[in-house]
Amino acid sequence: MKKELATFIVNGEQYEEAITPNMTLLELLRERLGITGTKQGCTGSGNCGACTVLVDGNPVLSCLTLAATVRGQNITTIEGLAKDNVLDPVQKAFIDYGAIQCGFCTPGMVLSARALLNRNPNPTKAEIKEALAGNLCRCTGYVKIVDAVLAAAKNSGKGG
Amino acid sequence: MKPELSVVGKRLPDISGVEKVSGAVRFISDISLPGMLIGKVLHSPYAHAGISQIDTSEAEKLRGVKAVITYKDSPQKQFTGTLMNLQCVEGIEAFGVYDRLVLEDKVRYVGDAVAAVAAIDERTAEEAIGLIKVKYEPLPAVFDEMEAMKNDAPKIHGRVQKRQADGFPGEAIVEKNIAVHVAHKPIGDVEQGFRDADYIIEESAYTSKQRQSPLETFHCIAIFDAIGKLTLWTQTQLPYLTRRMIAYIFDMPEGMIRVRNEYTGGAFGLGLAVSREPICILLAKKTGRPVKLIYTRPEDFVDRPTRSCVGPYTIKMGVKKDGTITAVERKVIANSGAYVECSALSGLIATSVANPLYRRDSYKAEIDAVYTNKLSCGAMRGFGNPEETFIREQVMDEAAEKIGMDPLEFRLKNLCQIGDPGTFGPEFPLTSIAMADCIKAGAEKIGWKEKRGKKQQGTRRRGVGVSCMAHNSGAYPAHAEISNAIIKFNEDASVTLTVFPASIGTLAFGTLAQIAAEELGLSYEDVHVVWGDTDATAFEIGSHASRTTYIIGNTVQRAAAEAKKKLLKRAATKLGVSPEELDIRNKKIFVKSKPEKIISAAEITKEGLYTRGDVEQITGTCSFRPSTSPPPYQAVFTEVEVDTETGEVEVVKMVVVNDSGISINPMVVEGQLEGGAAQGLGYALWEHPVMDNRTGEVLTTDFDTYKIASTLDIPEMELILIEQPEPTGPFGAKGVGEPGCVNQAASVANAIYDAVGIRILELPMTPEKVLKELKQNQNASK
Repeated sequence: MKKELATFIVNGEQYEEAITPNMTLLELLRERLGITGTKQGCTGSGNCGACTVLVDGNPVLSCLTLAATVRGQNITTIEGLAKDNVLDPVQKAFIDYGAIQCGFCTPGMVLSARALLNRNPNPTKAEIKEALAGNLCRCTGYVKIVDAVLAAAKNSGKGG
Repeated sequence: MKPELSVVGKRLPDISGVEKVSGAVRFISDISLPGMLIGKVLHSPYAHAGISQIDTSEAEKLRGVKAVITYKDSPQKQFTGTLMNLQCVEGIEAFGVYDRLVLEDKVRYVGDAVAAVAAIDERTAEEAIGLIKVKYEPLPAVFDEMEAMKNDAPKIHGRVQKRQADGFPGEAIVEKNIAVHVAHKPIGDVEQGFRDADYIIEESAYTSKQRQSPLETFHCIAIFDAIGKLTLWTQTQLPYLTRRMIAYIFDMPEGMIRVRNEYTGGAFGLGLAVSREPICILLAKKTGRPVKLIYTRPEDFVDRPTRSCVGPYTIKMGVKKDGTITAVERKVIANSGAYVECSALSGLIATSVANPLYRRDSYKAEIDAVYTNKLSCGAMRGFGNPEETFIREQVMDEAAEKIGMDPLEFRLKNLCQIGDPGTFGPEFPLTSIAMADCIKAGAEKIGWKEKRGKKQQGTRRRGVGVSCMAHNSGAYPAHAEISNAIIKFNEDASVTLTVFPASIGTLAFGTLAQIAAEELGLSYEDVHVVWGDTDATAFEIGSHASRTTYIIGNTVQRAAAEAKKKLLKRAATKLGVSPEELDIRNKKIFVKSKPEKIISAAEITKEGLYTRGDVEQITGTCSFRPSTSPPPYQAVFTEVEVDTETGEVEVVKMVVVNDSGISINPMVVEGQLEGGAAQGLGYALWEHPVMDNRTGEVLTTDFDTYKIASTLDIPEMELILIEQPEPTGPFGAKGVGEPGCVNQAASVANAIYDAVGIRILELPMTPEKVLKELKQNQNASK
């Protein structure tokens, strides 16, 4: 398959990569760039949400996104969420509220939650559940995840 | 008076929390080694077939393909994936059947492995899989366990090896596809018990072949070094037993195998088996390069063992009008699928778990594990307990109704008490049980008195139900239980704790660190945990059977006590007092009678390493075997709303009341119970693996067809922890991992009965089944 040189901006860094048209963003991140915090839990079918990343602040499923379509856009993976070694309030709340068990769904879950808080800084419990419904977790039963996002919203409000 | 605990009992964050939330933790699926190849497996499209020819030439010619393996490359030693078969000492029989080869010229279910490829990347490996030409000779297949036991049924296995108590297999021939028949030693006279009964209740249930569904699919990596030593990265829960089984299959000394673990994206029992690791090892051997074997989600769903005890599970109970249970008889016909794996073992555990729950005059049970051409049954969280509890707790409700007693009163009347025989008999008496408190607290919280038994009109009817369970804290004495812990002091008086529980999301490292810190007078952050490598740790069974906190926790506490003793001895010489006069708190060693006389622990530990005198690396070690397995207890109350027009069941509220002794970390305990509850609700209502009954093909191969709980499926949930200390537990703790998912199905079933008067005895309780029962019920009452 024909390869084409493309520019990507991931977590603020610029990368030049030769890509094929069928390469997914997930493959680009994990296999080409070695940025493995983004996970795959289903079969590129968008069913589990573990591969969620932010593209210009919006959550996308990287397993269903062709790399070629996000050239030049700002891609944020879980590795890029903390700023100057300070965890995002969502990350901090996930730790403090015990919202992580095996940690495999965590990157996608945290990024979906961050995207929610970006567009709705004070969500209700129901709005949080709705926003995270596409991110599956087999360990936690979601109770502590929802609590963590509520707490993060409060802390973010205080400018934390 | 005991000093207040400063680390145990605190809601401390996960030790690996920062790494997990930043994408820094490494899972096996993330590992890439120099020169690493990707392995893929070719799966059988037939449920039962011989393989007369395999042509791999086209696949081998494809650019980037480095090896193709078939049955011709396979070791010819039969083995079993189920590692608990090795968790034995003299006198323990595990009823395992060594019935599989790494690759064979026969396939026994749709999805069974036929061949495998190693190539430079996943796409090339997948393409090569498609180029392998196989000539199958299809054989008649059988999927139903009762059909499979008939004389004219297709024969699925010929000669197998049955595990003997001495640890080595002996040859056996399978008749009528019955792989294992085993009976418990009866207690009392069951026939007399049924004669003494005023009522006899008998029900059979069919449970579901639930999928463990961890989010990370199966991955393993194998690599041989220059001297032929094998390193195997695997998602195992039982590292040393994995090493021994691999050594057995490949005729290698255990010391030439290094089993490594990374963080694992969930396991829920899947890590109890050697799965397709041997294929990966064969590919690594043939290519001389590291190979990562990768399963996609559909492969996970068609070729990894499922929950057990599917097939008719029958309980017959005799009860007197005063509520005495005179006899209980159980018969389990377990549809094992193509290989026995955990079918017999989980049947044995299933039929034992109620022993420390309800008293009864007499008891017997037998289990048949039957081969069929379905995917095998392995281990899943609860290991037989959700299956048993689904039927038993409905029978308990029926018995209560027959004698006109409230279901809670009936349970309370029959509860076991401290001193009663434990799960495995009177030699292991119960040392703690807070079941009565669980029932009372839960009844209050759900509003049992106000809500139960209220006749309702309309199309949406509510009801409340209860289910109770007992589980275990480790598999002793049914299995050998051994753990080791090593603690060493560093110069700064922090410690390094070396243990090997599984890293499957139960947050065991933090729990064990809390135990060590408490015993040593250190803070949580002062304990650094090393794990994940059989060459760096001491022998360990691992993490299953809710054993980690109880057994490894006990081991860690003892190792810490030894290290502390050595530290205080050295400090005593320095201070010129006797060691008994000293204690340690916040890294400071002080004279108990003169608390102002203090020396920093770091001064002692550093001096032990940098001295012209006696050098000493202060350590503590412990090899531990428990002497019992104290059951955790739990009651789950649910309130449901049944839509009589659609058959839909909505769980409105769930109250989980749990007795796992003292919580080392309540936040972790809650997490286990909440996560378990989500799995238990899925088991009850919507996790529905579907197989085409004509072909044996599994149709639910991704999360769009096999539904696990999402945020929108979790009802209002309340947790109550009843903390009665367990005298034999570390700081009073018992097991907690498995109980979470045991009670939901029965509790919901009993609530459905309360709402609309129907009994559902087949899982999952889908709207179709509810509607069907409602119609039959209406017709019967006409």
